[in-house]
Amino acid sequence: MPREAEPSANEKAFLLKALQDEQIRLDGREFDQYRPLELTFGDEYGVANVSLGKTKILAKASAEVTVPFADRPLDGIFTIATELSPMAAPHFEVNRPTETEVLLSRLLEKTVRRSGALDTESLCLVAGQKCWSVRVDVHVLSHDGNLTDAACFAVVAALRHFRKPDTSMENGVLTVYTPAEREPVPLGWLHSPFCVTWSFFGDEGETALLDADWMEEQVRVASVTISLNRHGEICQIAKLGGVPVEAVALLQCTSVALTKVKEFSTFLDGKLAEDAKRRDKGGFMAELRAENDRVVG
Amino acid sequence: MSTESPLVVLPGEAIDPSLIPTHKKKPLRLGPGLRHIPPSEIVPTVAGQLVVDHRKTSMWIEYNGGRYIPSQGDLIIGQIARSATDFYYVSLSPYTPNATLPHLAFESATKKTRPQLASGDLVYARVSLANRHMDPELECVNSSTGKSDGLGPLKDGMVFDVSLGFARRLLMAKSREEGKVEVLEALGEEGLAFETAVGRNGKVWVGSESVKAVVVVGRALRETDERGLGVEAQRKLVKKLVREMR
Repeated sequence: MPREAEPSANEKAFLLKALQDEQIRLDGREFDQYRPLELTFGDEYGVANVSLGKTKILAKASAEVTVPFADRPLDGIFTIATELSPMAAPHFEVNRPTETEVLLSRLLEKTVRRSGALDTESLCLVAGQKCWSVRVDVHVLSHDGNLTDAACFAVVAALRHFRKPDTSMENGVLTVYTPAEREPVPLGWLHSPFCVTWSFFGDEGETALLDADWMEEQVRVASVTISLNRHGEICQIAKLGGVPVEAVALLQCTSVALTKVKEFSTFLDGKLAEDAKRRDKGGFMAELRAENDRVVG
Repeated sequence: MSTESPLVVLPGEAIDPSLIPTHKKKPLRLGPGLRHIPPSEIVPTVAGQLVVDHRKTSMWIEYNGGRYIPSQGDLIIGQIARSATDFYYVSLSPYTPNATLPHLAFESATKKTRPQLASGDLVYARVSLANRHMDPELECVNSSTGKSDGLGPLKDGMVFDVSLGFARRLLMAKSREEGKVEVLEALGEEGLAFETAVGRNGKVWVGSESVKAVVVVGRALRETDERGLGVEAQRKLVKKLVREMR
């Protein structure tokens, strides 16, 4: 397994000097500025492609009918699977979870699953016998720092974009309709949580940055990931080791995080609306118009 | 001298025989990217622009590859991985086998006066031995004259990653005309004081008294490389960045 590439001593020293003495980041961003965030949806429902600078993540949501867990007969099943393959960076190996991968899937789990963003009771079809199992696969295509924020955004975007097939229940017989028979329906979504990761630098963690890229991540001394939704409800705050940080600084980070999450929310809503408009064929009357293309055959 | 219209070739494509320079006495020399299949076939092995030089009767292919393959005489910037008994292990690019740099391959170095380099330090070195079957070897001194010619450890400053093709253009003797790279000259004209070392393995070291100058140079290089800017666009970019800095 190739070891992760280490930045040189010159680079580390220079980065710290630029941050602490001159207060500038290498790419000219502000300390609380995110890299350009881009989001595209696939043609299929539930595919979201997010790129945050050079970090690229693809999330795909899918659903199938299965048997619910025995101890939770009224709930559906919801899993998030993250995969860091050598495509993202050569030191990742398939099926051998590194620390980064374990932490990433734990954070996504706590943020999206445990906070109840997706209503699992709405996934139940027949109590104790059939339910929907929704699965989100997160593929990291390119790793240039801040996988957590980008992955969480991709997961939320994919789930909100996804449509599950419509079902109906008559006389104990469950019918699942194909997309051609009936329009698929969106998932039961309660709130949209997003992750905001702060990185700290300096002997006492006095300099705080948002959205560290790969080089900045190698040099940081501590990091905290705050997950919350736009109403200010915090799902989790994770600071896993690192240099201790002043409590007041942490509170300031949380309030800035709220502003960023509101921006993310508006951005995502805008993109979803744009996508819905693109797909909207105008309804029945639009299909009957005389100006439409002729169908041959 | 390059032909006026750039001819792009793909691997395995046949080359028009009229393009091959012939000379009564000088033999045809093939550069990187071309392979001679006896008796008379010349086949490209990479995709790129075919360049023909009639004065030197040579031809080669300009291509922008992803992975650096060491070749003899190249100047590179390496990172010391660790120190062994007689030499340092130097990494030229991540996830490739390390090159070796003898402890005494520095200007006027003896066992007592040699530079003590730690893991993570950067060196500007020349590739003294490179072939497919062996790990590459480096030197920081010109073995015939004993002078360092600017090679050796690089102190402070910052190193930036660039693409291999861009590094080659920066290293060309006439980078303004042939390589169409004017970024560094333009930055100097704007009044920034800095020094650079370009490694053929896709790394550019920039050193200066002022941290801001280094950051501006780095950003200019990165933007020029990533967006493939022409000479005019490079000048505009430099003006914009210097203005932002002030």
